[in-house]
Amino acid sequence: MKKCLLLICLATTLANAQNKQLLHGFNEIPQSSYLNPAIQPTYKSFFGFPLLSHIHVQAGSSGVSAYDIFVDDNRAFGDKLEAALLSMDPQDFFLVNQQLDIFSGGFQIGNPQIDQKYITFGMYQEADIISYFPRDLVILALDGNQNNIDRTFDLGQLNIAAEMISVIHAGYSTKVSNQLTLGLRGKIYSSMFNVKSTRNTGSFVTNQGVNNFLIHRFNLDMRAQTSGIATLVDDENSDPTAIGKRVFLGGNLGLGIDFGLNYAINKQWQVAASLIDLGFIRHSKDIRNYVLDGSLVFEGINPIFPESGEGQTAEEYWEEVQEDFEELFDIEETNDKYTSLRPLKFFGGLTYSYGQKVAKECNCLAGEEPYRNALAFQVFAIKRPLRPLIATTISYSKLLGASWRIKASYTIDSFSATNLGLGTSFRLGPLQFYALADNLLQYNNLAKAQNVSLQLGFNYVIARKQ
Amino acid sequence: MKLKKVFLLVFSLMLLSSCVKDIDFDQAETFIIDPVIESSFIFFNEPATSFMEEDGSEASVVLDTVRVEVFTDDFIVDNLVKAEFTFEGINTINRAYTAAIDFLNDDDEIQHTTNLAIPASPTNQPIEVVVVETFEGIPLEAVKNSTQLAFTLELQASDDGTIIDENTVGDLSFRSKGAFYFLIDVIE
Repeated sequence: MKKCLLLICLATTLANAQNKQLLHGFNEIPQSSYLNPAIQPTYKSFFGFPLLSHIHVQAGSSGVSAYDIFVDDNRAFGDKLEAALLSMDPQDFFLVNQQLDIFSGGFQIGNPQIDQKYITFGMYQEADIISYFPRDLVILALDGNQNNIDRTFDLGQLNIAAEMISVIHAGYSTKVSNQLTLGLRGKIYSSMFNVKSTRNTGSFVTNQGVNNFLIHRFNLDMRAQTSGIATLVDDENSDPTAIGKRVFLGGNLGLGIDFGLNYAINKQWQVAASLIDLGFIRHSKDIRNYVLDGSLVFEGINPIFPESGEGQTAEEYWEEVQEDFEELFDIEETNDKYTSLRPLKFFGGLTYSYGQKVAKECNCLAGEEPYRNALAFQVFAIKRPLRPLIATTISYSKLLGASWRIKASYTIDSFSATNLGLGTSFRLGPLQFYALADNLLQYNNLAKAQNVSLQLGFNYVIARKQ
Repeated sequence: MKLKKVFLLVFSLMLLSSCVKDIDFDQAETFIIDPVIESSFIFFNEPATSFMEEDGSEASVVLDTVRVEVFTDDFIVDNLVKAEFTFEGINTINRAYTAAIDFLNDDDEIQHTTNLAIPASPTNQPIEVVVVETFEGIPLEAVKNSTQLAFTLELQASDDGTIIDENTVGDLSFRSKGAFYFLIDVIE
């Protein structure tokens, strides 16, 4: 439980919904092509430093912050927690997303002046956990049913999806016309573990009874699918090292693609759109599914004058009552294979670039100067179990000197309407470094933040010849 | 390069000032929840004629025992701090009853007994008797030791010697519920 609380703390103190609004369109960062495979990094080639080229952590809580619960005032902890929990609704959620590049690289092919083709490849590990807030279950646990007579507890609010995967990918981007660049990336997923309990229904209600004081009605249809968990947690032959073996294609496998385009309306206006993780994972190994299915109406027991069945003894009657309850709460285990879909993401952007540096003396040999400023409007959407999450961002970026770019962003999403982000990328010779963070307004007290995301990384790059 | 300086200033200020303030995570140690679960319990509703034997004599004593494993469950033993049972008898039969609920352990030793005396109803108007028993502290241990409940319903002899027959009117209803007060240390 302590660990669970710490996780919630992490979720509430860290970050956002897998929206990498600062990374999007940041072409000086090679990993920006993860968000749109049409994007060609501005280098002849790049190689990410193993395990360091893309470190990404995001966690968020749409309803409460750690501050709401742990603020050091004179109120009792339970009161604060209860107030914070009751302020949330069942659409609120906790979310953790983490991504780590194991290796990555890319290079241009063909004649850069004519073809403009680019290949990227790599492998990364990703963890994604989302849990909606099961408000009714929490109220039932906090309060019990005595003060909630006639209240129907909706047990279907329990909605959790969690997975850890590794991804091997290769992408290809090509400029098909002066204006249009297309990109495609293929992915092989290897699932290290997966937990899915997203289609639950069920209710519990206590009413005034007819034959007794109270009548309880249970109606349960709950199910959870898991893969890769059984070998980790089995008491008898658990094998925690198994998870490591699944990183390199050893887990349940799946396939996916990313698709992206970039369209230059003119020299200054560009539109970009991409779909990321259009894919699935087939779970066939190490499956353990749980089904809790049944209904029961319980008004109490009548051991003295059992009504049901003729000649039934009290003992038999009592056994029947017990069996009814056992059946109701009996969790059935199955090993049926199942398929999970990866959370599909959409990124869109409209960018206006301006502020070309004019050389003091005409130098006809020099290449065209880049625009130094860019304003962008971005849209992000991700499919989630209950409904898609959507975020909109406006950003401004500026190139300082030859190889230092800074970017600022303002985002409105499910977590807040005051999300300011700041990021930077600079290159020193062949070393490229970047760091991006959002929710800066919360940095003076992280505990108040409902979400913060952070990405950083190092790459070895070979610049394009001028 | 004014912008450069502003950027550096903002970025470093942000990192330097980044911290977690006014927060006390140790509070979680005191995280206790106190739900109250209420559940229906024993009930019946029988006409007077149910107290007749097949040979026409009176069934003066009806008793039965049920096994109740729930009170000795580890979770209950650890977290239940109070139990409150409400027993109610409503009688419209012109005969008095006594009901006894014995809480027994595995060795059939009585841990606690609840008694209800239900008076006769000469006019067949409902006579209601309610007994509320609260268990806290030491008496609660009696409940937590109990694995069986014995319910004994005794029909008291009538003052005028009449016995129940097919023509005796009225019925006896019995209702009960338990409220279970928990104090659960979630962080333990």
